Amino acid sequence: MLDAIIKAYNEAVFETDKDAAFEVVAQALAAGMTPEDIVFNVVIPAVEEMMSHITKDPDANLAQHFMTAQIASAVTEKMLEKFQHPPETIGQLVIGTAFGDLHSLGKRIVIGCLKAMMVNVIDLGVNVPAERFVDEAIKHNAQVIGISAMMVHSAIGEEGCRKVRRILRERGLEDRFRIVVGGAPYRFDEQLYKVVGADGWAADAVNGAKVIVDMIREVKAL
Amino acid sequence: MTPLEILSAAIAGRPAPRIPVFCNLLDQGAWEMGVSQEEYYASGEMVAQGQLRMRGYYGHDNVWSLFYVGKEVEFLGCNKILFTEGGAPNVADFVIKSYDDIARLEVPDDITAHPAWTEIGTCLRILKQEVGATHPICAYITASTTLPALLMGMDKWMELLLTGPADIRDELLRKCSIFCQKQIAAYRAAGANVLIYSTPFGSTSFVGMKRFMNFSLPWMQKDLAAGGTAGIVYYCGMAPFNTVIRPVMSELGIGAYYISPMADLAEAKAIIGTKGLTCGVIDDIKMIRWTPEETRAEVKRICELGKQGGHFLFGTGIMPQALSDQNIKAMLKAAFDYGRLE
Ligand code: B12
Repeated sequence: MLDAIIKAYNEAVFETDKDAAFEVVAQALAAGMTPEDIVFNVVIPAVEEMMSHITKDPDANLAQHFMTAQIASAVTEKMLEKFQHPPETIGQLVIGTAFGDLHSLGKRIVIGCLKAMMVNVIDLGVNVPAERFVDEAIKHNAQVIGISAMMVHSAIGEEGCRKVRRILRERGLEDRFRIVVGGAPYRFDEQLYKVVGADGWAADAVNGAKVIVDMIREVKAL
Repeated sequence: MTPLEILSAAIAGRPAPRIPVFCNLLDQGAWEMGVSQEEYYASGEMVAQGQLRMRGYYGHDNVWSLFYVGKEVEFLGCNKILFTEGGAPNVADFVIKSYDDIARLEVPDDITAHPAWTEIGTCLRILKQEVGATHPICAYITASTTLPALLMGMDKWMELLLTGPADIRDELLRKCSIFCQKQIAAYRAAGANVLIYSTPFGSTSFVGMKRFMNFSLPWMQKDLAAGGTAGIVYYCGMAPFNTVIRPVMSELGIGAYYISPMADLAEAKAIIGTKGLTCGVIDDIKMIRWTPEETRAEVKRICELGKQGGHFLFGTGIMPQALSDQNIKAMLKAAFDYGRLE
């Protein structure tokens, strides 16, 4: 039965059909599958499947990224309410859009994927000052700070990632947090993340989620 | 030949001494005029002078009547723009906060009578008077399928687009398309002769091919039907779109294509050939950390890929302010050198 459910669910995600995905989940529940099983054996593998698909397929598009994240986070949220015990999260991420930048879509897709992967996400919103990224990371005991930027000036300017890095250095916090960046300018110049002092980047949110999960594990292993 | 004649020759495939060279400098104009961005963009005369001075200094072919992209939604009720000194102004408040606002959204009857046009009109008047007979004057027009991103935010728009309700989505698109048509007419009447039609949702990196055919293409047809495609340049905000050049050409009849630096330029040129104008575009974000020599090498590569057989233009994205003067000069010198035609 599980195989058929996985297949139907993956198809729905691939076709960006949210209603169909929920239908599959409802059928699975009715057939006796637990919410835990659905999240861990259907939803998370589907996100991972989508990751490898998007990496391999040059025609993968933004609509697919968006809906993958939307469907995964919506289903997970629904299932979490039904969990017997609160699930164990992998770790914490604070994420926001850089100072001077009001673009929110990239961040929203990243958050959707991470929620489904059991990462506890603290969304700081848009136009976030550098100090706030650090203060909130400390407050929430995060492992990773995520900074999204859609324009060159918010990506490489003095008030964005560069400043977050400087504050971490000045306060001796560089071992405690990793910085991950993303957004249009980094896609045009794949080396840009280094210039601004980030530890990593990703070209899209689905792969971004993977980078972030790896970073969380890395920091936790220290 | 004047730059305007060189552009016409490139479009028609007539002999010319060189390819047209476009350089899109916008926010740098405030530096040029020695004022803040907010002051600069408050005055059409400032923007026109900024454009003319930058063109005079660097020597590229085109000038712009675009202030900043967010200006379009000022016609539709937005009155909060975030100005920063290092980069472009951004829309800071969305006109559509709930779906009810879509019903209330009003497209001005005569957009040239709207206060948001006043300074644009002044700017165009000066540009037309100063260089209208000799240089291309560019205008920027957002497609109906993309304008909602500025009215409600890209994430809310994605949601409405992909999950509906379809009737509300279509009502919004209808209004945006009417506005788009009015803009095309107004800019043409005021003297703009190159109309950059910005249509990121007309790229398959935004929507799949099926949705492109069933959704993006029909709305683009509506945007362009009334005014025709003279001077229209297909531009997906620097997203790649080689996959759709054929249908855009056959269904919309657009003649000029602004190819993303992330796309395969040789492939694009092969598809477009002599049927239209291929614009080879440099990655001006990578250029920030290139040396002038590296910049020159990249311009050479682009020109050599594209200029064979003519029908080719060299251009930039929206040049970031972080680019050095040295690099901009190196880029333009190289474009004039390698863009020479026999
Ligand atoms: C669509 C688009 C528009 C649309 C919609 C904008 C909007 N409100 O969202 C329109 C046409 C309106 C527009 C306008 C402008 N744009 Co624009 N636009 C684009 C385009 C084509 C795609 C951007 C986009 O929405 N992508 C979809 C989102 C989801 O992608 P994303 O943010 O990159 O996020 C993905 C990844 O990067 C990653 N990610 C994002 N954040 C994070 C964070 C982390 C931690 C991780 C791991 C991953 C990650 O995951 C996401 C999903 O997979 C890009 C070029 C391009 N090909 O990327 C230019 C681009 C971003 N625009 C640009 C500019 C300049 C502008 C303007 C400022 C122009 C102007 N002078 O007015 C205006 C600003 C308008 C405003 N807000 O007021 C420039 C920015 C570079 C620069 N020169 O500074 C670009 C790069 C084009 C260019 N090369 O010239 N734009």
